[in-house]
Amino acid sequence: MLDNTWNDILDWFFDRSERANLVRSFNESARNAFVSGVAPTLLKASISKGESSYKHQFSNWLNTGFRIQAFTGRILTKDELIHIGKVILDDSILVRRLIVLGWDTLEIHGDAGTYGCRWQLKDYIPLPKFNENE
Amino acid sequence: MNDTLIQDSIKVAGQAIAKTTQTGQPINWWMWVAITELGFIAFLILKEKLKPKDTAKQRFKNESLKQDIDFNNIINSSFNSTQLYDELKVKCHPDRFPTDKEKNTIAENIFQEISKNKNNIKRLLDLKEEATQKLSINF
Repeated sequence: MLDNTWNDILDWFFDRSERANLVRSFNESARNAFVSGVAPTLLKASISKGESSYKHQFSNWLNTGFRIQAFTGRILTKDELIHIGKVILDDSILVRRLIVLGWDTLEIHGDAGTYGCRWQLKDYIPLPKFNENE
Repeated sequence: MNDTLIQDSIKVAGQAIAKTTQTGQPINWWMWVAITELGFIAFLILKEKLKPKDTAKQRFKNESLKQDIDFNNIINSSFNSTQLYDELKVKCHPDRFPTDKEKNTIAENIFQEISKNKNNIKRLLDLKEEATQKLSINF
């Protein structure tokens, strides 16, 4: 029991740091793209509450949503928001990383209000069934 | 049993330290050697016990964390891949090479790759280059 608890604590800190790194890297790339003119809109990634019905075996208890918000610049249409979502979901490495770090929901939001789109991450990658007692 | 042994050792060590400080006797080096040894043994036991388990789930997670993610490509693709895809799908369509059998096959392969990677601008740019060279298309 002691070893499980100890490893869970270590995992929690490790995951937390990896999650923060991933969000930071995304934001840095988005900022550079906006400044250099590659992207017309500044995107900002953050961690949100997520949708509890999208849970999978790697899901965290709380804050399971990976939210991308279009901040300044041109206002994006719904089609553009969907396209951003599709680009992310097409990148299997990123989806896999999001899943193992405990996220289960991808949210793409516009600048104002709660207008946006939401996807269930586990639909986009085949997750093997793990034996918890192994 | 280990717990009692550890508690007793700590108790004896505590008493010895108190005695040494009270009487002003010289430091008992053997006691410190014993304490260090005990600490070392405890460290070895805990290190072995607290080793992370190598489960299938853990392996899946570790493999996923090893791969690099190209965020620049993702951001760039989010805004610019549609335009390039639309251009490529028209210019590289196999129907544009109805007479030349070889070019038609190449165009078919390239077209399939284009459809597969329509949201990946890096790959689309590679395919554009390939199409320019193999199909002599001017973009």
